[in-house]
Amino acid sequence: MDPFLITVWVVRLLFLALLYLFLFRIAKALVGDLRAAAREPGAELGRLIVVASPGGEPVEGTSLALDAIATIGRDVNNAIVVEDQFASAEHAILTFRGRAWYVEDLGSTNGTFVNGSPVQGVSPLGFGDVIQVGQVRLRLERPRSDRSRR
Amino acid sequence: MTDGNDPGVPAQRDPHDVPAVASAPVRASVPPRPRLAPLGRTIGHVGLALTVAFAGLALGAGYWQVIRSPDLSTAADNPAVIAAARNVVRGQIVDRDGRVLATNARNKATGEPYRRYADRTFSTVIGYATADFGTAGLERSWNAQLTGVSNGNAIGDLLRKFRSDPYDPQKLTLGISSALQRAAVRGLGDDRGAVVMLDPRTGEVLALASTPTYDTNAIANPDTSREAFAAVREAASRPLLTRATQGQYVPGSVFKIVTAVAGLGSGRLTASTTFPEQPRAERDGLLVSGFRVNEHPGVPARSLDLAGATEWSSNIWYALAGLRTGGDNLAKFAERMGFGAPLDFDLPTARSQVTNGDGGAPGGFSDDVELANAAYGQGETLVTPLQMAMVAATVANDGTLMKPHLVTAATGRDGTRTIAPEQLGVVFAPDEAAALQVAMRRAVESSVGRQFTSGAKVPGVTTAGKSGTAELGGRGAPHSWFIGFAPVDDPRVAIAVLVERGGRGGERAAPLAGDLMALFFKTFPR
Amino acid sequence: MTAATASGLPAILGPIRPRARGRESKLLALVAITILVGSVSLELAPRVADPGESTGLSLANPLHVAIYLGLIGLAHLVLILSGRRMDQVLLPATAMLGGISLLLMERLPQTLVAQDVGPWKLGLGDVQLAWLVLSFSLATALAVTVRNDRWLRLYKYTWAAAGVALLVATYFLGDEINGQRLSLSLGPLSGQPAELLKVILVVFLAGYLSEYRPLLVEESTKVGPISLPPLPFLAPMVAMWAIALGLVVVQRDLGAALLFFTVFLFLLYAATGRPGYVIVGVILFLAGSFVMYNLVGTVQTRVDIWLDPFKSPTGDGYQIVQSLYAFGRGGLLGTGLGAGLPTVGGNLPIPAVHTDFPLAALGEELGLVGVLGILGLFLVVVERGLRIAASAADEFRALLAAGLALVIGTQALIIAAGNLKLIPLTGITLPFVSYGGSSLLVNGIIVGLLLALSDRGVEPPPPPKPRSRLARLTGRVTRLETPASARAPLPPGGGTR
Repeated sequence: MDPFLITVWVVRLLFLALLYLFLFRIAKALVGDLRAAAREPGAELGRLIVVASPGGEPVEGTSLALDAIATIGRDVNNAIVVEDQFASAEHAILTFRGRAWYVEDLGSTNGTFVNGSPVQGVSPLGFGDVIQVGQVRLRLERPRSDRSRR
Repeated sequence: MTDGNDPGVPAQRDPHDVPAVASAPVRASVPPRPRLAPLGRTIGHVGLALTVAFAGLALGAGYWQVIRSPDLSTAADNPAVIAAARNVVRGQIVDRDGRVLATNARNKATGEPYRRYADRTFSTVIGYATADFGTAGLERSWNAQLTGVSNGNAIGDLLRKFRSDPYDPQKLTLGISSALQRAAVRGLGDDRGAVVMLDPRTGEVLALASTPTYDTNAIANPDTSREAFAAVREAASRPLLTRATQGQYVPGSVFKIVTAVAGLGSGRLTASTTFPEQPRAERDGLLVSGFRVNEHPGVPARSLDLAGATEWSSNIWYALAGLRTGGDNLAKFAERMGFGAPLDFDLPTARSQVTNGDGGAPGGFSDDVELANAAYGQGETLVTPLQMAMVAATVANDGTLMKPHLVTAATGRDGTRTIAPEQLGVVFAPDEAAALQVAMRRAVESSVGRQFTSGAKVPGVTTAGKSGTAELGGRGAPHSWFIGFAPVDDPRVAIAVLVERGGRGGERAAPLAGDLMALFFKTFPR
Repeated sequence: MTAATASGLPAILGPIRPRARGRESKLLALVAITILVGSVSLELAPRVADPGESTGLSLANPLHVAIYLGLIGLAHLVLILSGRRMDQVLLPATAMLGGISLLLMERLPQTLVAQDVGPWKLGLGDVQLAWLVLSFSLATALAVTVRNDRWLRLYKYTWAAAGVALLVATYFLGDEINGQRLSLSLGPLSGQPAELLKVILVVFLAGYLSEYRPLLVEESTKVGPISLPPLPFLAPMVAMWAIALGLVVVQRDLGAALLFFTVFLFLLYAATGRPGYVIVGVILFLAGSFVMYNLVGTVQTRVDIWLDPFKSPTGDGYQIVQSLYAFGRGGLLGTGLGAGLPTVGGNLPIPAVHTDFPLAALGEELGLVGVLGILGLFLVVVERGLRIAASAADEFRALLAAGLALVIGTQALIIAAGNLKLIPLTGITLPFVSYGGSSLLVNGIIVGLLLALSDRGVEPPPPPKPRSRLARLTGRVTRLETPASARAPLPPGGGTR
């Protein structure tokens, strides 16, 4: 057995081992993601009723079902897309943490308001509160108990 | 996750997501199932399908890289083997007494090694190895071992990866005796033909001669390679065809031994089987479905038994025996001895056949006429000399067939690996074989038999055998055949001799076989 | 991990809000180590046959490795700075494939591709590195800049028309190589439009299928026992079939045809959930294949080679037989990077090893273990793409992401299966690994779009803080009993401030 050749083969096998370590790390991450996805409740946690929407999008009077996270803004990546010139691309985020809703302004130009007062940091929301994003006003409502609609 | 927020597609929500308690009271009023399956689920199906396909890829890779890896890596035209052949000094090839048959020289100009062969009579066995015209014969089939790419040991091959010199060229030892090989080629003379001599107890090949031979030295030497190769390839006598293993010939009466093996083995015949209809048929010919089987002249018009029919070489008795044995039995027992597929051998072999196999009758015969003709060696039957040597060896070895092999040992860095004798199977029982041994001995030694097998008898040694005269139709001499073995009670050698257009079996093949067996006993006296 | 504004930076950098990408950083570090070890292994290979004076370890062509890894690091940095919440596995997985590709191209004879650019003479490794750099730059640029999919969504017919125009242009203006017109030259640049067509096709299909998805599952037409949608909506399927057949007949491009049709069927199923479509599609495919086999010589040759390549190991079956020999030589662990593929008389056993048979070369040098690892990497890319699709905000984006991922996965599948003699060989590239500018750039586009599509805007809330066991228990009980009221601990309309 030639020591140099053994070195060579150690390097070769190390390469393969690293390739598999990489795959293993990814697999672990993927499984973690799947678990996280399974944890997310599919049920509705609240609703937003569109009170006023001068831009037409979203349509006034519609009821939007909410998951645990809902972003509001002009960008199409948002869960709730608002067509309003006074809204920012990423304007605000609603999160359901534990048992209650919270709203946070995402550094929008014109700010986010709850019942008329500007939001500072993360502030809790109650059912019936009205959120204003640009000119669009949305009212937070309880989730519907009959969730098998349609 | 966020698609539930889209007011446009509320139907996407999976109804099963609803908590059990909340949905229970409204279950009755649940509307018909949404028509659209959720996208997440169908995308999951697609992912699953693709994963299954990738698993198929993994299996395919495993098949080629693990299961088929050994034979792919040692294939003669694998670049690894070819590259090794260019860089490595090939292992030697020696005969059973250690006499060197193939060794190496170096090209004065380039310093590249090339092959030297000691004996032209081995050309059809060893073949040649060249840089430009590939390889043939043992040089081809054992290329991986001769170049040392593989030494037949998977773990050893793996471990050699960790050594600085990965090649381990093997020296091959053949079972062939140069004395017998030369005598066989000399005996065939200018005729085209083949001689195969086997040790029936081990399957070792003692001689494997095919004529004409050719000059492998001229092909291997880079200076003369091109012209020599062209000349050999163009030659009308086709010397590159190893007649002993690749020539397919009409067997004539030597095939009667196969019929006897099938009849005895299947229990349809015994040593004392006679046919009452034989005497009349000898006079008038035997009518089989309107076709008349005719006897060759001189056979007496009486009922013969197995030994009598064999010493007289009675076509009618064997035709009747074949019909009684049945096509399926004949095909089955022939297959047990290697018919129907190329033989597993060190050299490429042609397939021997009892029949074309496309007929509707049992065993693939088209009808009884073909079966009756095949039973005495005409019909559609074609055999290689090696196959017939195996038939003789089966009878000699009391019904047990050993795998024929040329190479008996391979010697490399790590020592010598001996190729052990391998049993291919028990074709028929020892007592049945004994009856046939008696019959074949009568065919050589009795006064009647000697008429047909003159010269096959080895002086002082009990000898058994059967001659054959293969009529080819049209004009020209028949092929001359002989198969046999000796001594009868403890056989040490089995032989098959074929001389193309050599005339009657007793005239050409039988005396040559007798001489070669005599030489064997002289060269290897116990 | 909350976004932080870079307060001290000039105003132009004001909107930059970097966001850490921890998982990607770790995985990319692993990629870098693996590629460095691979490079060392590559450098060692020739010294085994010809032991030199030094026995130390060093890199094979350290400049190339440095440029490549540097670029990947830069891409990572740009993604961090962009502040978007994008997938963190796609870039490492594709970077690993690209790195393996670079090692392979370094190791093959550099003369396979020789280009003179100004004063430099570039070989295979140099050119491949250049394309990899461009490809990953393109991916990063798209990932950072694409924030809106309107330009893809609204103009699907325009895109389709552009694709068809590209095909037609190739047919009439393309350069003919080996009897196939597959590449189009534009000034000094040349490329294979079929590569770009893959993306265009997916964009069109995503647009079409998401728009007509509800209609496609209507059962208004019945043919015997099979229920079909309204006939007009079958038109795209027939059109796809025709385009695929056209590719075969006109361009002799079996690989692209097979790829397009397979991806189309996958997407059609994903959009409708109807196995019936797939069955009809497969029947159409088989019928088309049968006709093609009898009409088009190329198809017949390919299929015959596939059935028994060993029949003519030095003629038609040469490449595939050599490919299988290469896989066989590799065995379980391979010969080691750089130690495989013996050349015979100065010729490579597989002439198209860098384009059509990279997997065979990798199979020889990395063995079955390596092949399985590489297949695993492709599966990871597909899985990420499909996961992005499954969590996309709407149907168009879901189908677009799924389609893009399927293009990569299916293409890898088709060429790998061809190399392994599981299906007839078709000349397409192994994504990210094969040599080829068009192929790498289009793969870059795909990765860039997938990354952009994976941006979900904001991060999920932190998991609920652990409460006392008692509180958790009571919480669950009340929730089970009265699910609605339990979630309304606050009085309706009650201000909390």
